[in-house]
Amino acid sequence: MKIEYYLPATVFTNQDLEKIFPKLPAAIVEEKIGIRERHISAQNETALDLAIEASKMVLEGFDKDRIDFILLCTQSPDYFLPSGSCILQDKLGLITGAGALDFNLGCSGYIYGLALAKGLLQSRIATNVLLVTAETYSKYVHPRDRANRAIFGDGAAATIIQLSDLEKIHGFELGTDGSGYGNLIVTNGALRQPYNETVKETLDENGNLYSPNHLYMNGQEIFNFTIEKVPGLIEKILKKNNFTIEEIDYFIFHQANKYMLEYLRKKIRIPSEKFHNNTLLSGNTVSSTIPIALKESMNLNIIKPGDKVLLAGFGVGYSWGATILEI
Amino acid sequence: MKTVDFMQILKEALDFQQINFSPETNLKAIDGFDSMSIMTIIAIVDEHFSKKLTARQLASITTVGSLIELIGKEKFVD
Repeated sequence: MKIEYYLPATVFTNQDLEKIFPKLPAAIVEEKIGIRERHISAQNETALDLAIEASKMVLEGFDKDRIDFILLCTQSPDYFLPSGSCILQDKLGLITGAGALDFNLGCSGYIYGLALAKGLLQSRIATNVLLVTAETYSKYVHPRDRANRAIFGDGAAATIIQLSDLEKIHGFELGTDGSGYGNLIVTNGALRQPYNETVKETLDENGNLYSPNHLYMNGQEIFNFTIEKVPGLIEKILKKNNFTIEEIDYFIFHQANKYMLEYLRKKIRIPSEKFHNNTLLSGNTVSSTIPIALKESMNLNIIKPGDKVLLAGFGVGYSWGATILEI
Repeated sequence: MKTVDFMQILKEALDFQQINFSPETNLKAIDGFDSMSIMTIIAIVDEHFSKKLTARQLASITTVGSLIELIGKEKFVD
């Protein structure tokens, strides 16, 4: 599996954050949430633009005419229609014989993308899948929402999954609980509730400003959800694939926030040297956190060919999923 | 768990070592009590009592005593 990622050029540091929110010292942000900087897309730079860049990188040295399916995971589309993956096919000069579809998921998106790719490959509907995750949550966050401006970063990752990778992708556990939909949401702007210029802005008890036109995240409920669901998810995925925790070489969870990840690690009893917890230089890039972590871990030789890596994504939806990859 | 032990665990986890905790201590009035503190409380209550507190319950916390009530006094041996 070939993976590349692309982060937009503009870097938004904790010092930049402190200039806007003087009560939030840069050092405290890094210490408490483990993020030093995040990349933010330019005003006219969309998730699709990031997807194109990441895709170009992963296609270097690969015969792009072999790509016969494009999966684009994004919650920040250019248009309501058509699908961004169709535009991606054209911009990248991929064959018109390729299938293409968008899917709208966040934190669990990469896992679902791998599941879809596995299905397409196993059924021989496709032989070389281009899976792209691309997100610009920064465009949804209110400028005065200190918490979410600190957490989220923009970015895209592109992965090529070939038939020869099929045996390296083990079984999946997936799950959904839509009762949690309101805890991570951009309420206005689509068809249920249109964008509203006169909408009321709300200051939460921590001084973060948001409105229904903007991203709302109830961090506490999301934390409750992850504590409740993720340990069981890991138990199930190990059992399904006949592995013990000890037999897994590395664990990469969706890199949501340092504190939550560390709590999950302890609760599930994963040794810290086998657990990825790093959002320092990119923040929470939503569906790209897992492929970025995979790529970085491979670059640093933390994971090597033959290693078994457990991936787990969980969050917005609520949606969750896990799988085990052999590198 | 004894109330006094719980208050010690809470104090250390919240990094408020310099404050004397009693059931009357108003958590939200402590300088530095923020959304991360709430996350810490969620974690402690899960770890030590296997209990989930909803966002609404967390919003209602004022004193250490109010947190103990939410957990349930019957969970403490004093």
